[in-house]
Amino acid sequence: MATYDEGADLSVPVKPGFFRRYVFSTDHKTIGLQYLWLALAGVFVGMILATVLRVHASWPTTAIPFLGGIEATSERFAAVRLLHGSLMVFFVLTAAPQLGFGNYLLPLQIGAREMAFPSLNRLSLWMAFASLFGMAGSFFLSSHSGINLWLLSASLFSFSVLLGAFNFVTTTIDLRTEGMTLPRMPVTVWAWFINAILSMLIFSVLLAGTTAVLSDRLFGSNFFSTVSFLARQPQNLVRQGSLSILWQRLFWYFAQAEVYVAMLPCFGFTTHLIATFSRKPVWKERMVVLSLCGVGVVGFCVWGYHMFATGMNPYAPLVFSVLASSLGIPAALLMASWFGTLWNARFQLTSSMLFAIGFISLFVAGGLSGIFLARHELARASVSEDFVIGHFHLVMGVAATFAILGALFFWFPKLFGCRLNETLGKVHFWVTFAGVYCIFMPLHWLGLLTQSNTLPHAQRIALASVSSSFRTFVTVATICTVAAQSLFVLNFLGTLLRRHQKAEESNPWHATTLEWSIPSPAPEENFGPVRPRVYRGAYEFHEGFANDFMPQHLSPELLVQKVL
Amino acid sequence: MPAATSTKEIELIIETVGGGGGGSPPANGGRGGGDGDGKPGRNRKQPSPNRYYTGIAVALISILMFFMALASAFLVRKGTSGDWVAVHIPVLLWFNSAVLLLSSTTLEIARKRLANNDLGGFKKLWFVTTTLGVIFLLGQLVAWRQLNSQGIYLATNPASSFFYIFTGAHALHLVGGVAALIYVARRNFDVAKVTRSVAAEVTSYYWHFMDALWLFLLALLYLGK
Repeated sequence: MATYDEGADLSVPVKPGFFRRYVFSTDHKTIGLQYLWLALAGVFVGMILATVLRVHASWPTTAIPFLGGIEATSERFAAVRLLHGSLMVFFVLTAAPQLGFGNYLLPLQIGAREMAFPSLNRLSLWMAFASLFGMAGSFFLSSHSGINLWLLSASLFSFSVLLGAFNFVTTTIDLRTEGMTLPRMPVTVWAWFINAILSMLIFSVLLAGTTAVLSDRLFGSNFFSTVSFLARQPQNLVRQGSLSILWQRLFWYFAQAEVYVAMLPCFGFTTHLIATFSRKPVWKERMVVLSLCGVGVVGFCVWGYHMFATGMNPYAPLVFSVLASSLGIPAALLMASWFGTLWNARFQLTSSMLFAIGFISLFVAGGLSGIFLARHELARASVSEDFVIGHFHLVMGVAATFAILGALFFWFPKLFGCRLNETLGKVHFWVTFAGVYCIFMPLHWLGLLTQSNTLPHAQRIALASVSSSFRTFVTVATICTVAAQSLFVLNFLGTLLRRHQKAEESNPWHATTLEWSIPSPAPEENFGPVRPRVYRGAYEFHEGFANDFMPQHLSPELLVQKVL
Repeated sequence: MPAATSTKEIELIIETVGGGGGGSPPANGGRGGGDGDGKPGRNRKQPSPNRYYTGIAVALISILMFFMALASAFLVRKGTSGDWVAVHIPVLLWFNSAVLLLSSTTLEIARKRLANNDLGGFKKLWFVTTTLGVIFLLGQLVAWRQLNSQGIYLATNPASSFFYIFTGAHALHLVGGVAALIYVARRNFDVAKVTRSVAAEVTSYYWHFMDALWLFLLALLYLGK
């Protein structure tokens, strides 16, 4: 490595070499961007896998290119599902909003030069990459060693998130610039901060769990009993291939903790975007912050109680629905604030704002079906896996993706120096918005239709034909929605390639927070030798000034000058 | 006990927050005061050490969660299974515990010496602390060998699995502690971002925490058998 560095330094005397600039860089902006690239790669592979799964569900006999053997065993099928889930949950929903945007923007929004421990931050990114390779690699191995590799990767990922969270908490507590008091912090910073505390508590428990499971599998220790877990499963499932249940179970052991970790930063984004584009302060900002704390506390208590009561046994019953419904009260308060901010606002319907509103819509729709799931007897009587899939994809997966896209459209000028195309962005939004409803709403109905055990036999047969056409509809909708993402790719790549031709103002959205007080993309030094000073809260949008907003960093004297 | 230690650390966080977030921006360059370096303004070479105190507090809470999770698994597993065969704790562990407690004492005396600018005395006692730490680790290794010779391995039964994972995870954390001790003794603090006394203080929190954690784990293994 050292020789590469020296060679590069000789040929390009000004710029540091490739390795120092990308592989060993401890700059929070480089690291944040790399997490975002990781997430982008993850989301596209994940979407392709989802299409494969849907095609397989509708036309089980179709040979799928490169995956010819998928229909052969339920284990292969489980492996595809696991890879889809792991990529989406770990590398998109966890990595993008927290580690990607968070790493890039947190120091900028609190006026810091760097994260508190930059080298640990780099180590965290390396571990995330290693974990990605591990999880992808586990797909190509036999089931037994595949599960081991997957678990190892999951524990690496836990460690990576722990290091990241450690950095986020310390940075937010200690590196805020002058005048950036807690009440003046943007809601996004609050969300990252609370989420980091939550991740720190959750992922250390998960790490302990994987250590024990791995030790069981590799060294034959006796922490958790797989045998008694499999004995409790329905006989037909065990005979078909017990390992696929194991895959699924171990995945959910992780993923149920992720409900909050994925959602919290998205709440932050949505609040931030809605206030900025409504040109109004966040309605009841304190309540929003307290609700975010509430999500964290309730989330950890419910999940933590479950974990400790079962001795972290990954084979213990899951509490996914209880987890989701415990979001209820804080989510309702957040919703009240979002509508309160939108009320009577002359809002600007940019693509970014559209995605933020789309987030609210999907979150409400998915949340409502969660109420059905939380009622246990109802869930057992009439709800199948399809309903559950529809529910958590809407509330967690797609809603969070919308918030991430909203954030990407909003901060793209900060990341790359120019705006994404608004027209393409809006078309992309509407097609995707319609698409995801066409995919996941019928899935809810499918769940209710196919498993209606209370109906007489003849009626159920009649329903079966209806449900097969539903299934086809969902699959076609999936293919169309995935294809529609090419609009996004077109927009993204096109803008990126032409970014040097477009001169852009440094604060295109007229936002108030500190990251917009410096040129875009953010210079190496962030704020330069003089750290900014903060004079007011993050959402001071008021009429009557020359501009309708008061940036956090402008001193009152400068503001007066502007009015005159 | 770890619980007490963690409360102390949480207070430390709150203190730091309180110091950082005042009302309006302060008029002069310093932030909130209480940094303890006594220099006017902000020295670019040695930024405020607050982050190290916060960092260690945050890390200790995380480590505490890790061990509490295992402890809950221990209690639940013990309560629900019929295959639990208690592990007889080797007598050597009591000796090891005494060594570890002693190391915490020498570490504190070393820090006193450092505060009195007695660098030679500090290094001597710091070395004694490091040696005691290594003796503890070697003692744990001998205890494992003793158990192995009795035919008790990781895979023998649930109780033995837990015995090995508790002692092993703790030993691994302590190896980190020994590395930190060596780092503090060896590092050239003229070029480092922290002063030696800050590094020594942060290391001491970690070390005492590991000490208290060990007593907790020992009590758990002893009472829970």
